[in-house]
Amino acid sequence: MSMETKNHNTKILILATLSGGYAGADSVGQLHVDYAPNTYILPVMCPSMFPEDFYLRAFERGMDAIIVMYSGTDSPYKGGPERTAKLINGTYERMKTLGIDTRRLRLTAICTVCTKPFLKEVQQMNSLLEEIGPVRSDFSKKSEESIVS
Amino acid sequence: MDDGSAPRAVDENQQADADNDCKLVARTLARLPNVVVSRTNMSMCSDSGQSIIEQDIKELGVNRVVIGACAPSLHEATFRQTVERAGLNRYYYHHVGLREQDSWVHGHDRILATEKAIRLMAAGIAKARLLEPLEAIRLPAEKHALVIGGGVAGLKAALAIARRDMRVTLIEKTPFLGGRMAQLERIFPSGEHARTVLGGLIHEVADHPRITIHVGTQLTSISGYVGDFKIQLTKQSRGVTPEQAEQLMDCCSQYVPDEFNYGLTQRKVIYRPYDGCYPSLPAVDWEHYDGSPITCGSERIVLKNDPETLDLSAGAVVVATGFNPYEPAAGEYGYGVIPEVITLPQLIRKLALLEAGASLEINGHPVRDIVMLHCVGSRQIEGVHEPQPDGQVNDYCSRVCCTATMYECIELKERFPEINLFDVHEDIRTYGRGHEEFYRQTLEDGTVMLRYQGENPPVVEALPSGDSHPLVVRLRDRLTWGEEVEVPADLVVLAVGMMPRLVNDLVEMLKISPGKDRFLLEVHPKLRPVETSVSGVVLAGTAQGPMSIQESAAAAEAAAAKVACLLSQGRVELEPFVARVNPELCEGTGACVEVCAYENAISLRTIRQNGSEKRHAVVSPANCSGCGNCVSACPHGAIDVQGWTLKQFDAMVDGLAIDMFDVLEVEK
Amino acid sequence: MVLDTYDALVVGGGISGMQSALDLANQGYRVALVERSESIGGKMIQLSKVFPTLDCCSCITTPKMSAVAHHHGIQLFTYSEVQQILEDSDGFHVDILKKPRYVRDDLCTGCRQCEYACPIYVPNPYDLELSATKAVRVPFSTAVPQTAVLDIENCLFCGKCEKACPVDAIDLAQAPEIKHLRATTIVLATGYEITQRDAKAEYGAGRLPNVIDGLMMERLLAPTGPYGRVLRPGDGKEPESIAYVQCAGSRDETLGVEYCSRVCCMYAIKQAMLISGSLPLADITIYYMDIRTFGKGYEQFYQNARTMGVEFVKGKVASITQDENQNLVLRLEAMDGKPEVAERTHDLVVLSVGMLPQYDPKTLYAVSPAEDGFVQQPSPNLAPSLTDRHGIFVAGTAAGPMDIVDSIVMAGAAAASAAGYIEERLMRTNEQVPESPVMEVTHG
Repeated sequence: MSMETKNHNTKILILATLSGGYAGADSVGQLHVDYAPNTYILPVMCPSMFPEDFYLRAFERGMDAIIVMYSGTDSPYKGGPERTAKLINGTYERMKTLGIDTRRLRLTAICTVCTKPFLKEVQQMNSLLEEIGPVRSDFSKKSEESIVS
Repeated sequence: MDDGSAPRAVDENQQADADNDCKLVARTLARLPNVVVSRTNMSMCSDSGQSIIEQDIKELGVNRVVIGACAPSLHEATFRQTVERAGLNRYYYHHVGLREQDSWVHGHDRILATEKAIRLMAAGIAKARLLEPLEAIRLPAEKHALVIGGGVAGLKAALAIARRDMRVTLIEKTPFLGGRMAQLERIFPSGEHARTVLGGLIHEVADHPRITIHVGTQLTSISGYVGDFKIQLTKQSRGVTPEQAEQLMDCCSQYVPDEFNYGLTQRKVIYRPYDGCYPSLPAVDWEHYDGSPITCGSERIVLKNDPETLDLSAGAVVVATGFNPYEPAAGEYGYGVIPEVITLPQLIRKLALLEAGASLEINGHPVRDIVMLHCVGSRQIEGVHEPQPDGQVNDYCSRVCCTATMYECIELKERFPEINLFDVHEDIRTYGRGHEEFYRQTLEDGTVMLRYQGENPPVVEALPSGDSHPLVVRLRDRLTWGEEVEVPADLVVLAVGMMPRLVNDLVEMLKISPGKDRFLLEVHPKLRPVETSVSGVVLAGTAQGPMSIQESAAAAEAAAAKVACLLSQGRVELEPFVARVNPELCEGTGACVEVCAYENAISLRTIRQNGSEKRHAVVSPANCSGCGNCVSACPHGAIDVQGWTLKQFDAMVDGLAIDMFDVLEVEK
Repeated sequence: MVLDTYDALVVGGGISGMQSALDLANQGYRVALVERSESIGGKMIQLSKVFPTLDCCSCITTPKMSAVAHHHGIQLFTYSEVQQILEDSDGFHVDILKKPRYVRDDLCTGCRQCEYACPIYVPNPYDLELSATKAVRVPFSTAVPQTAVLDIENCLFCGKCEKACPVDAIDLAQAPEIKHLRATTIVLATGYEITQRDAKAEYGAGRLPNVIDGLMMERLLAPTGPYGRVLRPGDGKEPESIAYVQCAGSRDETLGVEYCSRVCCMYAIKQAMLISGSLPLADITIYYMDIRTFGKGYEQFYQNARTMGVEFVKGKVASITQDENQNLVLRLEAMDGKPEVAERTHDLVVLSVGMLPQYDPKTLYAVSPAEDGFVQQPSPNLAPSLTDRHGIFVAGTAAGPMDIVDSIVMAGAAAASAAGYIEERLMRTNEQVPESPVMEVTHG
């Protein structure tokens, strides 16, 4: 079940809700299933608190990918999931402007016992990072472009 | 640094072989700014471990504490109390989950796992630098609990809470109390009569001055929080009055299958499930009543359901929604296809309906040979058993069926000594106190034991008419070293397992979660065995998992104890993780009010300041959920969720991004 | 003599007693908790990891121990035994014997200087004598309270501990002390004993060093265990082939124990999984009659173990003998092989011993035992925590074998019943009850 990855130097920031993704990650832990260690999970109450700038700043600080594992329709917060989705969409637009591959940011619903979906998300993001490389490649591409133009 | 705060990092990891990794993490963290002391300890959560923390706070002047250990859901509260005991504000503590999210999941790469631990701890320390002292929100609590479900668990929970000097509202969806227990006859291990014992309990509940019972009633909405849930109930009409009930029941001619007898008999749509039921007044089965008038002499009466809405406040909710027996799929072991295949609950009703001394017949034939088949709908294996419509297989054990089957075998032998019994099982799990005796008795009675391997379940087939028996059970018997055995039978009884009652709407309203097995999930089987992830919502009985009557009663009382712990003081404390407005930055745009979905959580107020009027946002902490919708909406960064501020998150990202070359010690 | 009044007295400081005490104290009642041994924590604190979550056991137990110790509503009496219970109209009058620790608990800081200085090694009861400890010691690293105790029977009176103690807490003149207290209600959480290893002659009567019991294996697997890894005690060899003999002490008429002990299947499977983690090359076989994994998540745990390669063989082991290499020869009729008596050799055998009542009339305190020796439950279905004595309730394994999850739930149930009783008494006191004579219930 080993998830060997070449992404040793990449970092995936996972913002996981206490009522969803964070508990789901704990469930994976209880099963002792191995996954890639470049995954940095921070607990959040509801990701609707993060403005678009937060994600952009995280990419700037070297987070190569961000997975927002919210509680989706199971969220205990009224209006939270909808607002989160809206903010993430807004962030995609700004990522495009900055030349950051939008696939680096992903919003997904993970429940407290969603162990398989959790592992799938991590694996998929790592496959993507193998393909597109660290985030600084996007930034350098962009700066090359700006030099050219 | 802002106030010269000094986070203290302690890394804990229980794995003995990872001791060195922990020490490396601790040594590394010690180099981070503000870290006063960084330790490893095998069990920081023990009393001696906690004393070390207290000592460091007192002696080294440590004023922020960060611990990397098991999941915060397990021990964050423990350590908050520790720092509080040492005189620090309890929110000067931050917990990092390194066990479930690191050491248990990256065993294949210890070096990277160690790096991850360092980065996660660096993030935690970064947050700790920005922690602020907070005070819990204290609110008055209603000493009143809502109990959902009028079966044995709900009744026991209601009574135990009421005895503790609190009020209880007990609601039951059907028109009668008693639940599944009422459908049983003699119950193990005591041999008492189920409805007699239950009747005693029901009357204690009904007579209790602090318990209000609503039958035919369901929860339709709930809001609020522990201590003060605002609840709306919908109560169906009884449909008949005491004066006309008997006559109407006599006149009623619409029949439906009687679920009390698991469809073995029919009953009218105006009914009492059994003699001595509570309430004794008959009720109309609105789900099945076809609306046609009932002719009584010259009168034609149309029954009317006029549901009533009830509003109440309660401090806590007990979910005791119970179980359904597993309903085998059509054709599963011949069920629903071969009439001589019935379930164990059906057999219990069938025997109850049979007059004393009468012989046992099925389909008009005398019954000579019975096969009892265990684990139907339990211990299912993916790839062997057909998944259910929702794609799931019941891979759990239902606990009670083995003993219930043995108990039924004994009764069968007592009443019909000439009948031959064959018990087909994978294991016999008569684990409970006194249950092993029923197993022994069954063996002594001459019941033939046959044992299959889970991957190779038995097959039930109809025999051609004219054969000596209507059906045959085939299996490979492990007790005779794998011999292929054929048992011709007149009756096959399926010992069906337990499934939770479908209460999806309730689960959604209460924001609680089911586990993989669909039963409602507790926070932790040992630390918080009856609590759900929603504070103030607790579980009782088989809604949580298969249980015997005894176990349901115990679980219900444990739930009552939890409710008493929450409410008996008349107040509750809530986490202070709510929005807070910085009045200096707030410009009164109202963007926060627009995105907030909670009533009265945030509003704009006009304040006179130095002669000029200024609008700014005000949060009402009791109504705020802390979701943070307002945080991302504020164009001036004037709102934060206390304890979860944007600045703290930015700092955590910086912590994750630290340069390892800066912090790792260089080996010489 | 200290006279103290409590709402509830909880007898036994294992997991059930601690849970009952916490569930009562958190409702605002004043609770006295009496524990016979030097520390609270019971059997649970000796375990390695707990099924089915595989949480480290001390992670679950030690915070509860700490919560009990620090709760302002709980008064702890460790190394103390209930001597006598009398009852009158005010409730129960209880005499508690505080055994001498020969260390003053008001002074001792748990610094262990005495332990380091003591020259006498004695078998360590916490490790089931698989390791040694000192004649004066803090009972174990996570003990509550962290107060040393001196084993006077093995003490040479050399005085080294007295010299080493920085706070002069050693007091060899300490005498037993009787404390008297009053309580409205009593919860019995006196726990269980395990089947003795020498109970069965067929299994070597405790004389085969490499035949151990399940609790000893718990110590071998615990991170704080005697060797820090799994080694067989006979010669320190790393075992390659380990057998579990199920029902070694339960469902066995020859031992007079006809009941199922409920936990042995799960702890054997759990240990098998933990051993495969620490000794990946070892073969593990579990010999069983029925696998009883009935709790929430337990069946799935069993199926996981099968997938991991733990071998399950249906067959009752008839005898165990030792060969010249200290390996063990098991004779059995295996149901999955051929119909013949087979011999299988393993280098370490774990007896999955069962639970026995702590049969001591003194600790049963005027409630009646049932035929199985555990506290009788006169109303087993609807009120499992009721005993045949009004006002005295039972929690956990005092009422028969059960696992930790069930014990904790039972402890909550006992607390609820006890709370209801306290409230009823309070109401009746307000209504004035005529004096009834003091009645003696039991003698120590």
